[in-house]
Amino acid sequence: MKEHRVVGKHLPRPDAHPRVTGELVYGADFRLPGMLYGKVLRSRAPHAKILRIDTGKARALPGVRAVLTAADIPPVLLPNTISDVPPLARDKVRYMGEPVALVAATRPEIAEQALSLIEVEYEPLPVIDDPESAMQPEALLIHENWESYAAAEGIVREGNTACHSSLHKGDPEGAFASADYVFEDRFTTHSVHQTHIEPRVAVVSVESSGHATVYSNTQLPYWIRTNVATVLGASESQVRVISTAIGGSFGAKLLPSAEHFCALLSKATGRPVHMETTMKEEFTDAYPRHPCIIEIQTAVKADGTITGRKARMILDTGAYSGSGPILASVATLVLGGPYKIPNLDLHAYAVYTNKMNFGPYRAPSGPQSNFALESHMDLVAERLGLDPLEFRLKNIVAEGDEAPNGQILEGVGLRECLEKAAAAIEWDKPAGPNRGKGLACGWWTTTGGSSGCYAKLQPDGKIVVHVGAAEIGTGAVNQGVAQVWAEIMGVDVEDIVIVAADTDTTPYDWGSQGSRTVFNLGNAALRTAEDLKAQIMQLASEMMEADPLDLEFADKAVRVRGVPQRSIPLRTLAEKSMAEKGGIIARGSYIRPKTPYDPATVRSNFYPTFNSPSFHCHAAEVEVDRITGEIKVVRYAAAHDVGFAIDPAGVEGQIQGGVAQGIGMGLMEEIIYQEGRVINPSLTDYKVPTIADVPDVDVIIVEHPNPDGPFGAKGVGESPVIEPPAALANAVHRAVGARIRDLPITPEKVLRALEAQG
Amino acid sequence: MSHVSIILNVNGETYPLEIEPHRTLLEVLREDLALTGTKTNCLRGECGACTVLIDGQTFNACLYLAVRADGKQVTTIEGLSQGGSLHPVQEAFIREDAVQCGYCTPGMILSAKALLDHNPSPSDEEILRAMAGNLCRCTGYANIRRAIRAAVEGLEGPS
Repeated sequence: MKEHRVVGKHLPRPDAHPRVTGELVYGADFRLPGMLYGKVLRSRAPHAKILRIDTGKARALPGVRAVLTAADIPPVLLPNTISDVPPLARDKVRYMGEPVALVAATRPEIAEQALSLIEVEYEPLPVIDDPESAMQPEALLIHENWESYAAAEGIVREGNTACHSSLHKGDPEGAFASADYVFEDRFTTHSVHQTHIEPRVAVVSVESSGHATVYSNTQLPYWIRTNVATVLGASESQVRVISTAIGGSFGAKLLPSAEHFCALLSKATGRPVHMETTMKEEFTDAYPRHPCIIEIQTAVKADGTITGRKARMILDTGAYSGSGPILASVATLVLGGPYKIPNLDLHAYAVYTNKMNFGPYRAPSGPQSNFALESHMDLVAERLGLDPLEFRLKNIVAEGDEAPNGQILEGVGLRECLEKAAAAIEWDKPAGPNRGKGLACGWWTTTGGSSGCYAKLQPDGKIVVHVGAAEIGTGAVNQGVAQVWAEIMGVDVEDIVIVAADTDTTPYDWGSQGSRTVFNLGNAALRTAEDLKAQIMQLASEMMEADPLDLEFADKAVRVRGVPQRSIPLRTLAEKSMAEKGGIIARGSYIRPKTPYDPATVRSNFYPTFNSPSFHCHAAEVEVDRITGEIKVVRYAAAHDVGFAIDPAGVEGQIQGGVAQGIGMGLMEEIIYQEGRVINPSLTDYKVPTIADVPDVDVIIVEHPNPDGPFGAKGVGESPVIEPPAALANAVHRAVGARIRDLPITPEKVLRALEAQG
Repeated sequence: MSHVSIILNVNGETYPLEIEPHRTLLEVLREDLALTGTKTNCLRGECGACTVLIDGQTFNACLYLAVRADGKQVTTIEGLSQGGSLHPVQEAFIREDAVQCGYCTPGMILSAKALLDHNPSPSDEEILRAMAGNLCRCTGYANIRRAIRAAVEGLEGPS
């Protein structure tokens, strides 16, 4: 591997200082003078008709400046794959917590009091809290007029099934009929929450001209702009969205939460309006992970060669479809797995229920399908009498192999990940009493979408880079992208200044999500830097009267190759340009080439390829207490093929943090619903791993470069949450023979399984 | 609502205030004194983001009435760096890559500082106990443990 000067180096975060001093202003710290405080009145019923809303008493409360219901706002539906969300409930509510009215007041306590004065009369309807019942033809419709909703072309939907995605390849019926063995298993997972430590916050000011300025801790300012413009009935150019610093997001801050409400309240009051989600609201009206039911079947030869796979996955998408259709599509690719299986019949359904809008949480639909698939793989191996590692190595894809959707795979480091992760926990050495070792492997995407970039050279020699993607805390923008820039321009990371995420002043970007940030912004950097260097070269060649072909970038200067004393510092070039030519300003953009695949394999699919895919394997060693059922994670290794680690500190951080969230999902986290009501909406009863619950992770970086990535890089932000639940389930089973098929793997479930063994 | 007169001593500076007695120290620090380094989140003492030191002990400011802090020494994250140079724990957090989004960081640093002020050579178990009230979702905690260990070794000096 070529040795680089800046990329590939483990560097300290350049933006850590204001975070450790408390100076950094996050969304939750942001204030505008004279702002009002907004609150949301939420449905108390999981499914009901709204008969009457009376806001008179609330409006009369001193300090209240506005009370809004659906009757006061345009009858729009928010844009999506299926546009089915009214900003405020109109004639009915479909989940407990659905927004029904908005209040703005001079103090938060007054706004809170006003909520209690709004009278809403509901006529309860039967609650549908089980997606399998919801899918039945005779089930009560949650959206009676589902057919009237604008929806993406090609979507297959019916009644409470918002989207049915499928992937079909080869002759699965034939493969199953002629197999030596067919094995079938069923698994279930529940919702888990991103639990970012900073709440979701927006402060919005709508001027009398109609122009709106939105300050929000959003990961995706351009999508927020679209939504705010929609509810205001304004054009997108009348809305400016600025991302503040962000205290964690993990997908929760991609979608509108407070921004559109604050915009409506600000328009009604003529004052800026602030809104902050409470912890209870996070657990009752947010975008946590889809609960899933997965049934999976494998056709296999006696020697362990997999010949076919069938799967049926139901994603409980909650009261509104949200990212359900996209995630059903993604699920079919995960269920195929990074395995050579020529015959596939995979179905995923996003189904409406009377629960909150489950949505994009880091690798959405990944850990659920991977939990089922990799638990099932261990079960198949056990039934065949094969070692789980050998069984996987026998069936995994390699360079040039075909993925489930027909795409050809490049940069496939999966074998190396499996071997290294297994070796890290001494796979071949038997675990001690009540201890067990488990593996899980998988693959994931590096999301596309376009990224623009402007760059200018400053008189102090620094390069200011404008990007539309927000720094969400991973370091992808402030460190990873800065390292790319420093490498290309021959400067240090400290010489790069990043200006990010302002829809008026930074170019369009599909956002910090989907493991896409360093990949796409890095490629945009390469293109923008070409323009920047060309302009610098042009000026330098004029000033030195030299041929540009004889010039090179080095030591923060442009110099004549072989004659180092003939050089001009970048600073000087910038000063001269500013004085005489208006400055050196460059631009570029990037959107990745489409990944070829076989469209005949997929139907109603809104995410048909895993671009520049990453490959990974996790290995866990657990110790189970047979008396209490408690599980201790003794050792954990995570091997990730990231193509090339541009920012190794950032890559390690993503893997360590993702494993912690995965351990949470695997062992302790669950949003518990009872008939449409969340019964544990607080951190006391929703258990998040503490410092005592997560061991050190043996992070193994594997590098099989991808041709499309900057320096060969692939995404890594999401994938570390995918494999922990399955790795832990497999380890627990191998420790004490308890096979848990429902997440989280709690002590109670382990004890029940041990009792059943007798 | 009637107001109570108190004098808050925060990071060595005195603030005479007239405040309503129901208000929390977290609210008063952030809204009245514009010291937003102490973070807001769960408001129920479950996450530790609002950790402050009161007479050297850790407290969740969201559960501490401001009037109760009258006459006590309050230390927030803003009080740790002196004359532009960082506290050893702050430096260790940067050096050991223990900061990602940084929102839990002020609370983490104060809990770590309180631990080391009372116990300059804590065992691994003692570190876990002292820090278990501060949740982090970004880092997975490994580098936070390394940072605290590095700060301990820094205090111990070359052996």
